[in-house]
Amino acid sequence: MASSSSSSSVAASPGLTERRGIPGAQFVEDVQTYLTQSGLDVNSALAFLQERLQQYKLVEMKLLAQQRDLQAKIPDIVKCLDVVATLQAKKGTGEGLITDFEVSEGIYSRARIGDTDSVCLWLGANVMLEYSCEEAATLLQKNLDNAKASLEVLVADLQFLRDQVTITQVTIARIYNWDVHQRRIRQVAAAKDT
Amino acid sequence: MQQGGGPDTEVTWEDQQNINKFGRLNNRFHELEDEIKIAKETNDNLEDASNELILTDEEVIRFQIGEVFAHVPKEEVEGRIEQMKEVTGQNLEKLEAEKDSVLAQMTELKKILYGKFKDSINLEED
Repeated sequence: MASSSSSSSVAASPGLTERRGIPGAQFVEDVQTYLTQSGLDVNSALAFLQERLQQYKLVEMKLLAQQRDLQAKIPDIVKCLDVVATLQAKKGTGEGLITDFEVSEGIYSRARIGDTDSVCLWLGANVMLEYSCEEAATLLQKNLDNAKASLEVLVADLQFLRDQVTITQVTIARIYNWDVHQRRIRQVAAAKDT
Repeated sequence: MQQGGGPDTEVTWEDQQNINKFGRLNNRFHELEDEIKIAKETNDNLEDASNELILTDEEVIRFQIGEVFAHVPKEEVEGRIEQMKEVTGQNLEKLEAEKDSVLAQMTELKKILYGKFKDSINLEED
């Protein structure tokens, strides 16, 4: 995480220049200097920034979708851990666990789960593996920790992205206002000359 | 929420950071409101469940664990529900506290930003 100034920036952009493929928004200290140094006129600069904004929005939607997936996955893993824990608790007692489970939508059936040392875990991609209860609990816990860690990174990415969006929006507004201001000055100067 | 600098007020990096922070806090505030709503609903459901338990005279309750309904004796169900209520209660308290802190920070930032930019900036919900 280094703060650096690229060769075409106006001033040292405090902050990251990019994060995990998301380009950082360059902070503009002074609009006049920015426009001179980048060699863009007002309209081109505004167009460039608008396009950047669209790109940011696209990435934001992608990240939000990923976040929703992860947030749905985590309670599922917690439920699985619950079941494994319950089975383990029943193991010592000798009595089986009687459950009602869904056979089809709206249809339930009763099952008696006897003393069992192993459970089968659905790993995805049409693959199911049998594990001992302890191994299953360990695997599920690891998956849960990974999911939570990924979610944290994702949230940080989203925050970075939103900051860049805000900076870009503020820069657009400033350039636009500066342009309006300049036009007014030119009008006043032109009126004085006549 | 819109941001802008007037032609006469310059936006410094510090101002930009304040604006960014306000945006982040605002987002977090909305997320917290949603989370608090869900937590309150869960709490209410648990309340209803434990009330039903008191009224019922069955000895074995079908308690949902994962995707199946396990036959669990009434006392164990009562214990589990009490524990779940405690967890959601603590969670709700934590969320409310975070929401208060976020609101306080946002009020501070509003003061600073309105102080510098007055009418050039709008920090209200539309």
